[in-house]
Amino acid sequence: MAGLELLSDQGYRLDGRKPSELRKVQARMGIFTRADGSAYIEQGNTKALAVVYGPHEVRGSRSKTLHDRAVINCQYSMATFSTAERKRRPHGDRKSSEMSLHLKQTFEAAILTQLYPRSQIDIYVKILQSDGGNYSACVNAATLAVIDAGIPIRDYVCACSAGFVEDTPLVDLCHAEETGSGTAVALALLPRGGQIALLQMDARLHQDHLDPVMEAAMTACRSLGQVLDGVVRQHLQEVSILTGE
Amino acid sequence: MPVDTRRVRAPEESQCPLLFVPLLPRGPLRTVAQPEKARVDGRQRSQVDVRPVFARCGLVTQAKGSAYMEAGKTKVLCAVYGPRESERKDDTDMKAGRLVCDFRYAPFSCPKRGTWIQGSEERDAAQALQEALRPGLCLHRYPRAQVEVNVLVLEHDGSVLAHAVTCASMALVDAGVEMYDLVLGCALRQDGDSYLLDPTLAEESGGHATQPEDNQGGVTVALLPSLGQVSGLHADGELRDESVSAAVRACMEGCHRLYPVVRRALVYAARRKAAPPGDSLET
Amino acid sequence: MATVQICEAEKVYIMHGVRDDLRIDGRACDDYRHMEVETDVVSNTDGSARVKMGDTDILVGIKAEMGRPRPLIPDEGYLEFFVDCSANATPEFEGRGGEELGSEISSTLYKMFQNRSSLDLRALCIVPREHCWVLYVDVLLLQCDGNLLDATSIAVKAALFSTRIPKVHVSEDDEGGKELEISDDPYDCMRLQVEDVPCIVTLSKIGHRHVVDATLQEAACSMASLIIAVTHKGNVTCVRKVGGGSLDPESIFEMTETGKRVGKALHAPLMKLLQEEEVLGKRRQKVGFLG
Repeated sequence: MAGLELLSDQGYRLDGRKPSELRKVQARMGIFTRADGSAYIEQGNTKALAVVYGPHEVRGSRSKTLHDRAVINCQYSMATFSTAERKRRPHGDRKSSEMSLHLKQTFEAAILTQLYPRSQIDIYVKILQSDGGNYSACVNAATLAVIDAGIPIRDYVCACSAGFVEDTPLVDLCHAEETGSGTAVALALLPRGGQIALLQMDARLHQDHLDPVMEAAMTACRSLGQVLDGVVRQHLQEVSILTGE
Repeated sequence: MPVDTRRVRAPEESQCPLLFVPLLPRGPLRTVAQPEKARVDGRQRSQVDVRPVFARCGLVTQAKGSAYMEAGKTKVLCAVYGPRESERKDDTDMKAGRLVCDFRYAPFSCPKRGTWIQGSEERDAAQALQEALRPGLCLHRYPRAQVEVNVLVLEHDGSVLAHAVTCASMALVDAGVEMYDLVLGCALRQDGDSYLLDPTLAEESGGHATQPEDNQGGVTVALLPSLGQVSGLHADGELRDESVSAAVRACMEGCHRLYPVVRRALVYAARRKAAPPGDSLET
Repeated sequence: MATVQICEAEKVYIMHGVRDDLRIDGRACDDYRHMEVETDVVSNTDGSARVKMGDTDILVGIKAEMGRPRPLIPDEGYLEFFVDCSANATPEFEGRGGEELGSEISSTLYKMFQNRSSLDLRALCIVPREHCWVLYVDVLLLQCDGNLLDATSIAVKAALFSTRIPKVHVSEDDEGGKELEISDDPYDCMRLQVEDVPCIVTLSKIGHRHVVDATLQEAACSMASLIIAVTHKGNVTCVRKVGGGSLDPESIFEMTETGKRVGKALHAPLMKLLQEEEVLGKRRQKVGFLG
């Protein structure tokens, strides 16, 4: 590894975290009034916004309509100023179309789409600042936004990334770790049932190491699930105070 | 793409040296000290003094209507197609027709050679043209249809947008599109305390030479002459507050100067169309 | 363009309200909505600001990158504007749907800054003909409820105010080659003079009167509006008539008058606010999106 020591001898990471430690998560629901559901999340320096519109009639061509369930439509985009080097286009490149597809697959697994036949649910996520773990921040933000929109889902979808450095699995990678460690696993989990909504791994990893990495990622997802649960509860409390119930 | 390393490659972008020569010896615009001094082409400053205009309808025979206009060295050609079936079916407002404008500089029209690809400046101009022309048209008479206006600038020597508006409205009349009124355009260049009506390209870009004093800017007004309504207003640069209204007034005056010329050209075109074959034209 | 559909009765209601100087949200004709401005919200930009005006929500991030000066103006840096109408604002903007509106807004921003006094572009020059700073001003539309231009221009001004460009030290070596050294001390930076940066005031003609800061519903009642960019001195840097209607010359004069008055009145509190925020420095409680 050229120069950058991702894990010190004492077992601390670049930003001082322990291998299994998450970054600070702060989130807020219902930030926009015009959308049906919206949420904002900060995971360390990664900041994401998610907005949900729907369920509504299928827009555009009628041929997309599904007669037994709702169509999930996702768009992932990054603010042009979100990365260290300025991006020229917010969306439409290959990476973001792939990310949109992943999000769509994730939420098709989580949302009870059969409740809304012949309709469409739009999920738009935007990365405002990117510091690793874009996918997981997007999924977590989108979960909150879907809940804010009042769309029934099976469970929170919690996503977390994990890597493998010096025989130790690291969770919630920051940008430097993501680019430096080689292997990155992105996992989206429905924590209560322990079901995996999406699992993605780039680069190679010895099969013996896969289990510990998965285990670490799943633990991280579960703890993220608790954080998200806390956010939702707090939001509901605030709202119910406002409505005087 | 494979790169040929044996060859010395020219720089990706090159500039014509002539561009770096000021368009004019710096003098003419600098006459703020003697504002009474005339402009390069002999016109007066701060006077409603437009360039002589030549206008003619019906140049493009394939188009429904067309017009050609010259003002000094600025040459604009406009062709109108339609009303025909609208391309955009999804438009929510189907009660009225659509006006589609296209504005292009011919590649040879400017000092620097352009491309055929529409630049952002041309798109802006097309948008401005559309907004200036629309109030003059009875688009509600053409539901579910669109009228296409194509403007091509053959030579750019200042006040292009203004003349494009006038030329386009003439072409629309020639095409027989129902209109409330003609739309006439006039431009103005504010230079310190005085203004230059219907500026040439040199006068228009003069402000970007190192001119320290403020109140520099360009104004373009589109006017519906017999209704007395302003249908388009575009101003750029930095203008002191009182000069905006003064500039608009001067431009309106300039539009009225243009009115008889345009009217005569239209009457001429109408007569020629109506004339029985073989009959010679008087005028 | 983000629009709302309203029926004739609603239109009449709004127009009658405007006639009596009482708009649907209780404002008078030349009142702005409640506005919130916060700078420095995205930490990996050189300057950023978020403006909320009613339900219109705009985030601006500025990144300074080194580039070559334009050949015709070798001693100046330049600004590049990009407006991203994201699908967050409305589903209509999904895919390429927002591009048209985005390029419209950015071309107005270009025009607004196309004069000598708005911003001292010479300060952005490092080595004439060779290196200059290019400020990429990226506007992100998060939510829109009318009056995008005014909110955008305010956000751009606030973001320019908060922009910190690292200082560059130019040293010449023996062969005459220049070496640039960018200071890595975050306090060794250059600030921009934003006093003269104009703000846009959009006036929408409704019935016989005109209103500032029209909401989407009000914009739907208006046939034509006038966009005026005004500096704090009251100079006008850009005027545009937009919309499908025409305007009486008299009302144009009235509208420019109002525009200048309102625009002038907008600058002073904005600058005061920005300076107050600046003074707070590190002690400032950052609100961002969590507030």
